[in-house]
This record gives sequence, structure tokens and C-alpha cells, in this order.
Amino acid sequence: MVLNSISFLIFFVIVFIIYHCFYKEYKIQNIILLLSSYFFYAYADVKMLPIIIGMTILFYFLGLKIGDYKQKNESKKAYWLTTLTVVLGLLPLLYFKYFNFFISSFEDLFSLMGLNTNHNTFKIILPLGISFFTFRLVSYAVEINRNKLSPTKDIISFAIYVAFFPCLLSGPIDKPNKFLPQIENKRNIKYEDLFEGLKRILWGWFMKVCVADRLGIYIDSIFTNYTMHTSASILLASVLYPMQMYFDFAGYSHMAIGLGKLLGITVTENFNRPFFAQNVAEYWRRWHISLTTWLTDYVFIPLNLRFRNLGNLGIILAIIINFIVVGFWHGDNWTFGVFGLYHGLLFIPLILNGKMNKKNKVKLVKGYFIPLKPMFKMILTYLIVTFGLMIFRSPSVVTVIDIFKQIFSNHSTSLYYDEFITYALIFMFISLFKDYKDEYKLNIHFLHSENKIIEHISVILLILVTVLFGVFESNSFIYFQF
Amino acid sequence: MERQEILKQVNEVFMDVLDNEDIVLSDTTTADDVEEWDSLTHVQLIVEVEKHFKIKFTSQEILTWKNVGEMITSIENKIK
Repeated sequence: MVLNSISFLIFFVIVFIIYHCFYKEYKIQNIILLLSSYFFYAYADVKMLPIIIGMTILFYFLGLKIGDYKQKNESKKAYWLTTLTVVLGLLPLLYFKYFNFFISSFEDLFSLMGLNTNHNTFKIILPLGISFFTFRLVSYAVEINRNKLSPTKDIISFAIYVAFFPCLLSGPIDKPNKFLPQIENKRNIKYEDLFEGLKRILWGWFMKVCVADRLGIYIDSIFTNYTMHTSASILLASVLYPMQMYFDFAGYSHMAIGLGKLLGITVTENFNRPFFAQNVAEYWRRWHISLTTWLTDYVFIPLNLRFRNLGNLGIILAIIINFIVVGFWHGDNWTFGVFGLYHGLLFIPLILNGKMNKKNKVKLVKGYFIPLKPMFKMILTYLIVTFGLMIFRSPSVVTVIDIFKQIFSNHSTSLYYDEFITYALIFMFISLFKDYKDEYKLNIHFLHSENKIIEHISVILLILVTVLFGVFESNSFIYFQF
Repeated sequence: MERQEILKQVNEVFMDVLDNEDIVLSDTTTADDVEEWDSLTHVQLIVEVEKHFKIKFTSQEILTWKNVGEMITSIENKIK
């Protein structure tokens, strides 16, 4: 049941009505939230429901025990129990996501050494959302051990934190510190919150069905038959792919955040207009923020602390390991590892010249236009990201090389044209213009305005455009597979 | 060394590393209160504090600090 389907709409309307009938009793609302989250998960794959419930119960009790050790000042015991908890939490993820990858990689290694092995890999079905809820669970245990959180005594609240349905399949990955207090207290929902939530859902829906899915039709048709296409068509599809990824995943995130708002729960932001980044480090501070924050807190900072006496070399090592983890988090394919390594290596010049965490402020010319220098840096960053995503998208490293061979061998400016692309580009530029307006806080009234009439008209227009021009055949989000 | 004196010296290290003379630390200061204090400068600050007081923190210790006050307590315990 994906967020942009009719079945989800029916499901959500029912949940929303029952949920708000009990607005005085937040504990009953919590039970409704939990049951609906488990129903949502079971609807996708009922066989996997015991895994998420089992892990929730396990982490609930281990969290209490870690908290107990902390309270008694037994830091060493708390540390070792946290380590054990994290390993236990990661085991299902490693098994379901990487088991076959380990087996086939070892087989490849042995065959390179001239040894033959006969271990067959077998089909393992990946539980949906496992990469996301595992990270939520790990975050809970580590935050208790770091004295940043007291374990919750309410198992229902904890179970909602793990399985909150708008975020269950693709994030954002909320930290427990901000999420749990919202569940453990009465929600105070105003009309403005509901309207804002609705606008976020609509905008996300538009990004998904009018931009991402339209671009996807063109891009898929080029890449599935790249040997038949000219260099110009492949280059266009490559340059558009980051846009498809962005509008797909940011669209989903807007919908998840909007659904949260309708239920009175603030979900963490996941994107901050990444294509206005002026270098790769800034791009990663704006792209899939909840994942990069998680990895910064639990991978990069601990590693950087461990290597702290190595100076810049320590930072470089920590960042490269961090990005290889980012890469492989997406799946069991060497292309993801190469993608991560590529981004890690791109940080080296930024670390050496001290620009890694520098904020890049832009002063607009005449109040509206980006000056040439930052504009150039944004385009360059976009192209660097495009190259990385070409590796990311390809089924194998060999395919990436083949695609490049095709680009350089089949020189032609003739472009494969599909009518889908015209509308896709129009909607893409409208969306980018909204990002531009939001990034530089331009005084243009659209979706958000002090004038309520303009606000409501733009919402109605958005619904009309989305219904008329949306693609409703393909309805899966790219990030569901991770 | 008095706690107040440790705080004063830590403040100087912060001003030096973050290149900002206006920083005024207190026990309750956190990274959110100082613009230049991010994930990278955090580690630089720790290295410089360790060098200044000739002490060594464990990673576990560093990761559990909630604010400057808890860092000062760690330093206080080590130089006693």
C-alpha cells in the first residue's frame, strides 16, 4: 500500500476519522496509531510482521536494562549491553539484505584464487522498511547509552516510534529524543497544522506523479535500451536522473511529513533543496538528511574521535568509511560501494582546504538572481552528483563502463523525444522554481501566503494539475526497495 | 585548579580553535549555541583541550557529554 494509492487514501481517511474522534484521549489515539501501523505493515507483507514486533519487544527491554545500568552509574556494563543490542539489531538487516552478497563475493574471491566452491545462494525476501526501522532501533539504544534519552516505560509509545506508518517503509528516520515525547503527551492539533499537512501531502504527491514518474518513463526507456540510443539521449537521461530521484524521494518525504502533521506529530525533515548546494559536502547536508544525520552521529563522529590524533588523515578515513556505509546501506551491490567511495573521495579536497562544514551564503543580484560564481559551483556540484548517481543506478560496474562507451562512441545530437518529457520538464521547472523561491525567501505567493484566498486557490490549482497530468500507472517509490 | 579557572581556559581554547573572540561559555552551553561548533570542529576542540590540559578522554566519555559543564567535570576529575 504505497502512499499515493487509492487503497492508502481509504485506509488513511478511516484512521484519521477514528483517531480524531478520540482527541481527548491520547492513549487511545496511540493504540489506534499502533494498530493502524501494524495493519499497514501486514498489508504489505504479513509474514514479516513478527520480525518488527519481535525486535520492538527485544529493544524495549534491552533499552530499560541499559537505562538501569546508566542510573546505577555502571557505565561499562551499559556500554557492553549497548554494543550487544546494536549487534543484535543489525543481525536481521545483515542477514536479509547482505547474506547472499557475502556468499557470492566470497565465491568470486575463491574462484579468483582458483578454488571452486559449491555454495548456492538462495532467495531471501527483504522485509520492507528493515533498513529504516533498524536504524530507529539502534538510535534508541545508543541515545540511552549516551545519556541523551531516558528509556520509555510505555511499550505502546516505543512500538509506535519503531513502526509509525507514514515513515515505516522509507523514513524519514526520526531520532527517539524528538519523536517519543510527542507520542507520550497529548497532541494539540490546530486547523493551521491540518492545512499545512494537507499542503505538504499535495505538494509531495505532485512531485511524485507529475515530475518523478513522468521523468522516470523517459529515463527508464533510455537506460533499459542504452545500446540503441545516441550519446545526446543518454546524456539527457543521465542529467535528469538526479531530478527523478529527488522528486521521487523528496515527494515521498513531503507526504510522510504531511501525514504526520495531520496526526499531530512532527516528523523530521529529510530534504533541504539539495540542488542549491555549492559543493558535495553541502549537498549531503541537504539530501536524505535523516540518514546522513544518523550516520554522522553513529559512524562518522565515533570514528573521527578514534582517529582524532591523525589530523586531516583521521577525518578523511572517517569520512570514507562513513560514505562506504552510506553506499552499502542502499543494497548488496558493489555499485553502491563504489558510489559511496566516490562521494567519500570527493570530500578530500574540502577537508584539506577547510571547506567541509563551511556554510555557503548567496547574496542575490537585484534581489532575484544567483551570481555567476555560486551558480557555476551549483552546476558543477549537480554534474558531480549526476555521475555518482549513474553508478548508483546501474546494475553493475561493467554496465556503467558500457554506458560511457556508448556515450563516447555513438556521437549524435539527435535526441529521442517522448511527449512525456515536455510536461515532465514544465512541471520540473515549476517545482524547482518553488524551491528557488523557498531557498531565497522570495516574496512570491504560492501555497504559502498571508492572503488566505491565494493560498486556497493555489491548493485547488495544484490538485487539478496533479489529477489531470499525474502518472498513475507506476506507483512505487524508488526508496521502497532499500 | 578551580572549576571556574578550567572553564576560563576551555573558553580560551574555544576562542582560539573556532577563531571567534566573542565566545562566552557556561556550564549549560551546547553546540547549538555556538555557530562554528559543528561535527568537525567538535573533534578539533577535544584534541586542543586534551593537549592544553595534558589529559586523554575516552570516546565513550566524550559521546555522553550533554554540555560544556559535563566536559569541565571530566577535566576536573582528570587533573585532580
